[in-house]
Amino acid sequence: MSLRVSGMSVFPPVRRDRIIAQLPQAFRKEAALHVTEEFNNKVRTACQEQRTGTVGFKISKVIVVGDLAVGKTCLINRFCKDAFDKNYKATIGVDFEMERFEVLGVPFSLQLWDTAGQERFKCIASTYYRGAQVVIIAFDVNDIASLGHARQWLEDALKENDPTSVQLFLVGTKKDLSSPAQYSRIEQDAVKFAREIHAEYWAVSSLTGENVKEFFFRVAGLAFETNVLAELEKSGSRQIGDVVRINSTSSNLCTTTKKKQANCCQ
Amino acid sequence: MALQGPEEVGEQVEEPEDLDDQDASSISPAEEITLPPGTGGDEEPEEAFLLPWDRFSSWLHCICVVGFDLELGQAVEVKTTRICYLSFPDSNSGCLGDTQFCFRFRQGSNRKSSLGCFLENTDRDAPPCLKREQGHYYGYVYFRQVRDKSLKRGYFQKSLVLISKLPYVTFFHSLLKIMAPEYFEKQEPCLEAACNDIDRWPTPHPGRVLTLPIMGVVIKVRIPTCYDKPGTSQLVQSAQGDSLVSIILPTIHEVDLFRCFYPVFFHIQMLWELVLLGEALVVMAPSPAESSETVLALVSCVSPLRYCSDFRPYFTIHDSEFKEYTTRTQAPPSVILGVTNPFFAKTLQHWPHIIRIGDMKQAEVAKQMKVKKLKNLKTLDSKPGVYTAYKPYLSKDEEIIKQLQKGVQQKRPSAAQNAILRRYFLELTQSFIIPLERYVASLMPLQKSISPWKSPPQLRPFVQPDFMKTLEKAGPQLTSRLKGDWIGLYRCQHFLKSPNFDGWFRSRKREMTQKLEALHLEALCEEDLQQRIQKHTEVEAVDLVLKLKDKLSQAEREQLPVRPGTLSKLRAHIQAVILALPEDLQGILHKPPTS
Repeated sequence: MSLRVSGMSVFPPVRRDRIIAQLPQAFRKEAALHVTEEFNNKVRTACQEQRTGTVGFKISKVIVVGDLAVGKTCLINRFCKDAFDKNYKATIGVDFEMERFEVLGVPFSLQLWDTAGQERFKCIASTYYRGAQVVIIAFDVNDIASLGHARQWLEDALKENDPTSVQLFLVGTKKDLSSPAQYSRIEQDAVKFAREIHAEYWAVSSLTGENVKEFFFRVAGLAFETNVLAELEKSGSRQIGDVVRINSTSSNLCTTTKKKQANCCQ
Repeated sequence: MALQGPEEVGEQVEEPEDLDDQDASSISPAEEITLPPGTGGDEEPEEAFLLPWDRFSSWLHCICVVGFDLELGQAVEVKTTRICYLSFPDSNSGCLGDTQFCFRFRQGSNRKSSLGCFLENTDRDAPPCLKREQGHYYGYVYFRQVRDKSLKRGYFQKSLVLISKLPYVTFFHSLLKIMAPEYFEKQEPCLEAACNDIDRWPTPHPGRVLTLPIMGVVIKVRIPTCYDKPGTSQLVQSAQGDSLVSIILPTIHEVDLFRCFYPVFFHIQMLWELVLLGEALVVMAPSPAESSETVLALVSCVSPLRYCSDFRPYFTIHDSEFKEYTTRTQAPPSVILGVTNPFFAKTLQHWPHIIRIGDMKQAEVAKQMKVKKLKNLKTLDSKPGVYTAYKPYLSKDEEIIKQLQKGVQQKRPSAAQNAILRRYFLELTQSFIIPLERYVASLMPLQKSISPWKSPPQLRPFVQPDFMKTLEKAGPQLTSRLKGDWIGLYRCQHFLKSPNFDGWFRSRKREMTQKLEALHLEALCEEDLQQRIQKHTEVEAVDLVLKLKDKLSQAEREQLPVRPGTLSKLRAHIQAVILALPEDLQGILHKPPTS
């Protein structure tokens, strides 16, 4: 049963710089989730005809994992607050940000869960991982060990989720600290690993802001696309976007359902 | 099970009623865990001043963990004994598995939180029944009891308890449903992370949709305001699929009235009268979950009127008010108690109104139509029902009973039944309050009697005979089809003498007095003060400045409902008058007042 939120006006409008009209492109074609240049046709049509059903008010849960001090919080802060704090402050448990977008004219939100890299919080991590649609594994491009640990982070994150429905991103951070030669060496390894685990590879700098916005736009675009496709598939021939209104009396409920069935047969 | 030997009880009940001396297993602001201040993206300007833990404190006083030890009883992990006893079921029935309930207790010492002033402002827009409790705390309990052979007692028994001044029962129970199972499984780091989550929440501000991340899910709530149309909800439950990552709560405080009243639903109208009049009422139920829910349902059935007497959703023999409330030397107090311990059947035998709730099958409900005589209440194993000698003032409304019964036959969803019942109570209460509102509005002095150079006029007094006279022409009969002795309900021995009337009238009076102050202030700002000052002596000018400054700080403190711009106008006036004075005086008057 789908209920539509009636009081949507209570939310402020989406920021102007969070509007996505074109599918943001991948960072490296050789390690991308897919390389099509535009949003899936079905998705575009559905959005144009406003048949996106509940997707319009949908959210995707994103978790950011990775070793201690690779810069997970900085990455999120650069994007959400356009801020960079040079002082290191360990995350306790989990930080959270909500970022609202408009993709192809449809409101869409990302829940960004920034988990603690500390060992102490490992035992509660699974609680926070549950229901994630996007997993971002962060590593420090200047620290090969942090890339090595990515596999363990991935395994932990996937324990709580359906591996087939999760979109993976492998993100190298602190790019500004690395020389071009150093960087290209670690990139080789990272791209190879990303391909192996079917993740999309990115390299960013939260200090300079390089690629940060592009990266999160790509995340939002792909998460949105997947979401709409799943919704379209689920509804099959049924028109999605049909809203079943429920009033407080059961007689009303009956008539609505009947009417709906009649529509389906047409 | 949770019952202690009497010698132990006497000793522990006398412990100081101080909440702030828990040991390490309760996480509260008093404890020294340094956490970064909130860094929520939607930072409000007023929230920028918040210190670490302030956000947490605006929602919760503390979190307690209560365990059960075979040798010691519950007094293991928390020192405040009262919370211990209230956090465990004390009835004989098993309660195996997970149970949720709530209790309420008096605040011990009169400690004022530094947040108090700030929170009062956020509280101003809340409906009367959702305002922060002044002298009481709520305890929201998630109790787990499962077999565990590895433990000496054979059972794992633990409660996670949230202590708060906020009466958001549905919200806190949903929160516990997320937190408690995780905590029982994963222990302390889980609580620490949860506290950290909560400390990043926006403050509970009525009217805004709040996004509250906790343990990997996001709870979305909207705290109603007093300006909302009663009986409507702005947030609607989300589609099922999203529940993993996002939970939308359509209500933060409403209990399912129909489910709670179902065992006694032939008597709902009488129960409404008893609650309205502040009669002593006790709910005897098999479990704390049922007792607390029923008490909360009773208290909320007079909404939007605030129930002003004390109520205890779950009251035990260990409560410090036990003697005060159960004494036979005085008439029973105006309180509603929820109890489960069979001992109360004897202790409260003399109470005028008793609701017994049992495990009732539908067939049995049909037999509960008659009110039961109090003398038939035996100490144990009495039949469920309402035991009272009370004769309702209003004649019985057969229609609502029939409507609800029909719903039961047609298997109408409980939520729909609840909505019908809620609306019914709302209309009943509104019919009852409208004449009072109308009369009180007539006590307001006329606008023309407000003079900027005199103190604001006083509200005229509430004269009961005058009010009763208005009922003849404009009583509840105008808005309610219910017949009966409406006037008798108000009469001086009843509603007008009850704490509910007192509380309602006080808050109305405060609002109207503030309105008068605001109007007076506005009138003052319209005056040409400088011109007036020219005609007066220096001493009088200084006096005026001091008075205006007083007014200004009062307006800021009490957030008087003045037109926008009034306060800045007043500041400009003060400034102008000061500047017209000799320089030495200016220096003195510009200094901030030292207190």
